[in-house]
Amino acid sequence: MSQETQPSDIGQYPEGDNLKHFIENRKRGGLVWRVSFQIATILAILALIALLYNIINGAFGYVAIQNKVDPNSLVLAMEENQMLSSSGTVSSEDDNELVDGIEGNPNAIGFFGYAYYNDNRDKLKAISVDGQAPSRETAESGDYPLARPLFIYSAADIMQENPAIGAFVDYYLTNVNSVIEDVGYFPISDDLLNEATTAWSAAAGEQADALQAYTANPAEVSDHDISISGSSTVYPLTRQLAIQFRRAGFQGGLDLQQTGTTAGFRAFCEDMTTGISNASRPINRAEIEACESNKRTPVEFRVGTDALAVVVSSENTFLENVTKDELRQIFTSAETWSEVNPDWPNEPIERFIPGADSGTLDFFAETVFDRQLEALTEPELIEILKANLSTGLLRRFDAEAPLVERSQPELVDLVLERVVEQQVVQSWELTESIFDRAEIEETVAAIPQGELQWRSWLTPAFLVTPQSSTPELAGIRTALFGTLWVIAITILVALPVGVGAAIYLEEYAIMVANPTLRRINAIIQTNINNLAGVPSIIYGILGLAIFVRAIEPITSGMLFGVSDPTTANGRTIISASLTLALLILPLIIINAQEAIRAVPNSLRQAGMGLGATRWQTIWSHVLPSAIPGILTGNILAMSRAIGETAPLVVIGASTFITVDPTGPFSKFTVLPIQIYQWTSRPQAEFRNIAAAAIIVLLILLLTLNASAVLLRNRYSRRLS
Amino acid sequence: MSTNGTPTSNGKYALDLQDVHCYYGSFRAVKGVNLKLQEKKITAFIGPSGCGKSTVLRSLNRMNDLIPGGRVEGRILFRGKNLYDPDVDPVEVRRRIGMVFQKPNPFPKSIYDNIAWGAKINGFKGNMKELVEQSLRSAALWEEVKDKLDQSGLGLSGGQQQRLCIARAIATQPEIILMDEPCSALDPIATLKIEDLMRELVKNYTIVIVTHNMQQAARASDYTAYYLMDKSDRAGELVEYGETDQLFTNPKDKRTEDYITGRFG
Repeated sequence: MSQETQPSDIGQYPEGDNLKHFIENRKRGGLVWRVSFQIATILAILALIALLYNIINGAFGYVAIQNKVDPNSLVLAMEENQMLSSSGTVSSEDDNELVDGIEGNPNAIGFFGYAYYNDNRDKLKAISVDGQAPSRETAESGDYPLARPLFIYSAADIMQENPAIGAFVDYYLTNVNSVIEDVGYFPISDDLLNEATTAWSAAAGEQADALQAYTANPAEVSDHDISISGSSTVYPLTRQLAIQFRRAGFQGGLDLQQTGTTAGFRAFCEDMTTGISNASRPINRAEIEACESNKRTPVEFRVGTDALAVVVSSENTFLENVTKDELRQIFTSAETWSEVNPDWPNEPIERFIPGADSGTLDFFAETVFDRQLEALTEPELIEILKANLSTGLLRRFDAEAPLVERSQPELVDLVLERVVEQQVVQSWELTESIFDRAEIEETVAAIPQGELQWRSWLTPAFLVTPQSSTPELAGIRTALFGTLWVIAITILVALPVGVGAAIYLEEYAIMVANPTLRRINAIIQTNINNLAGVPSIIYGILGLAIFVRAIEPITSGMLFGVSDPTTANGRTIISASLTLALLILPLIIINAQEAIRAVPNSLRQAGMGLGATRWQTIWSHVLPSAIPGILTGNILAMSRAIGETAPLVVIGASTFITVDPTGPFSKFTVLPIQIYQWTSRPQAEFRNIAAAAIIVLLILLLTLNASAVLLRNRYSRRLS
Repeated sequence: MSTNGTPTSNGKYALDLQDVHCYYGSFRAVKGVNLKLQEKKITAFIGPSGCGKSTVLRSLNRMNDLIPGGRVEGRILFRGKNLYDPDVDPVEVRRRIGMVFQKPNPFPKSIYDNIAWGAKINGFKGNMKELVEQSLRSAALWEEVKDKLDQSGLGLSGGQQQRLCIARAIATQPEIILMDEPCSALDPIATLKIEDLMRELVKNYTIVIVTHNMQQAARASDYTAYYLMDKSDRAGELVEYGETDQLFTNPKDKRTEDYITGRFG
């Protein structure tokens, strides 16, 4: 090598401006790569976000809930029952008995229709409620708490198409005040009656005159039928007027039902089976919308006022006014007057109330108690359960957890689930819920008894409830236990075997001198590397052939005498675990080999140089140093096993199972199979709970991984 | 075939190598070494890279066994017994003949455990604390680490780590300590400390040291063996063996002279 060689003889490097451009060009080349890497990273992040969005979108959002049984009516029935069953209560359908009982008894109290009190003013005294004395005026204005308006509803097109109805409504308004007091209600003021008549005229339109003529002579519209349903409170009044209408000559069909106000509106607006609807409350927005969607505009006619009088005997000197709260106590729990109010005498309360079948009792309970299901006490909730569930079912619940020991919210849930039978009829995704709120509200308003509720499908209850065919009642308890069992056994099997194999291959196999053995070891190594890439379904087929079929006596637990007849076919947790263990074994071996190989040789030499045996060196120095790497491989393997579905489907994991696995020989299901099964159901709600289950699976995975990472970090720290 | 020899000495022989050949697989790395190592003396192995001096050193406590394909022919007599006899357990050999490696390699454990582990696995019964202290004192490390025995051995400086490795080797009470370029990773001050330590240790132990550093061999050793690769078959051979002073001042072999005067290569 001669030092004198001139570089210019063999070539040259760029200099000056060329150099500048050359460097810039190289940098530009690097920039292109950098940007493409950035784009790749961003794409990966976007994919991740899309995935999370999809899951979270499904797991939260609005739902429309429909009750099979109105919870308010449950509360009402329970409260009425309480009233009727309190000691010292006399109840009768005959108001005269009530009057007779109260009369002359200073400790007696009762209530009934105001009209009836009016007839017995000489013997009885009506008391104020919340400072309002009962009278026609306070009742009509609504100031008196125990009063309610009475309506009938019809519609312009009905009245015009069916003159019998048009005429009957006119007849109703003309004659209502002459019969109403006989029925027991307050007549309305002339002003209100005029308003109603005006409304009728407007609805009748051009046919007003013709209809009025029919009113005078109903016989002429006998070729039409009248169908009425709705409030049972308005019913006696309408009935009275219907009888008179018939007497006046109407010959057509007259169908009068008492179904309750809400059902009445449903028949009137949705089913359109009635032409007139009786109502003891004004029509609500949802019902108006339901009507209008059927091209029916309801017209309201106020026909009277209903009021209850709370009465005591004229001899009673201490009671002038009561609050609603006092009324509640007087008619339920209190035994003496002084219990309710210390100023009152320490005498027993004697109660006289209308019987269970009367609408008066309903109205009283509804107005005075006015409580929601959620506000009831535990004994009250248990009472509802006892009144509505079969003894067998009650006994079952009592066996799960004694009812008396359950908390109030638990009991409310049980009532909602079993008695009210709340059902999700429609569900919306998170984004829809946020951005299309108005539209959703409209849809829900159209659902009878529908209620809009914000729902997280992922709840603590979801985790601890077993599978169910009703999505809102279904949980993942069984699948969660299944997954934990399967993974635990899988790791218990695969980790020691895998690490053992890695130690053999890395520490012992390389020392083998025999060429045949060396070749065998090389073949084993190649096979392990290839096994890591075998599709998981093939492991499933292997597991089916070996663990489920060939060694069934072992995997079904028969050999150990713990066989469960339903799983004696070997489709058990242990079969699944062994299959998954086989599946992840190559992964664990390869990673453990890497980790062991990464331990510096100097450490082995140090150990052996001190007179340690090979195993002592491995155990004390190589393995501790390799553990972080082994754990990393274990994390990967565990993640793979948790998410594996195909092989478990092949070896026959249960798709519907509600019994917790109790051990390695139980039948089972796991989270991915549960999720798969739910996503393939037609009902949208199953996709919501599938999303919630995916979140649980992800959290479980992250938790397991995080604990492995923590463990690994602790080891790494200890070593340095 | 080689000019092996044994310097005259009044001392006893710690090891007697008789026609030793070292193989890696089918490759012969060292051929025909005949050498008698003096007891309680420091013998230095010197020579250029690839001359087989480390291989010979490792064959002295059967560390070559750990290398796949590693094998030794010939006889190495230790207390009159061939180390490579089939009934000799290499584990016992290594307990009697300790080793210190080129790169300090303390265990990733506490200083205390670094020393106690070897004693424990070799079945030491007695006062372990005393043994640890004594070993550390012998390795001239005690004063520096006595307050942090529970700290990791990896936290020490390179020189301290190497002395810890020496202490670890001493703790198993070997008869011979083999040192494979123990100072090559150390700075000059640490190197001097190790050399001082060797001079101290040689009162009780036979020491064999491989070194690239001729000054070190000249300074620290009593005897020196010079190895060189035979270019014809690429096998290392022992060229000359003698008292250090004599070998450095009056080498018998031309090749030795070339090497120590720097004319080599």
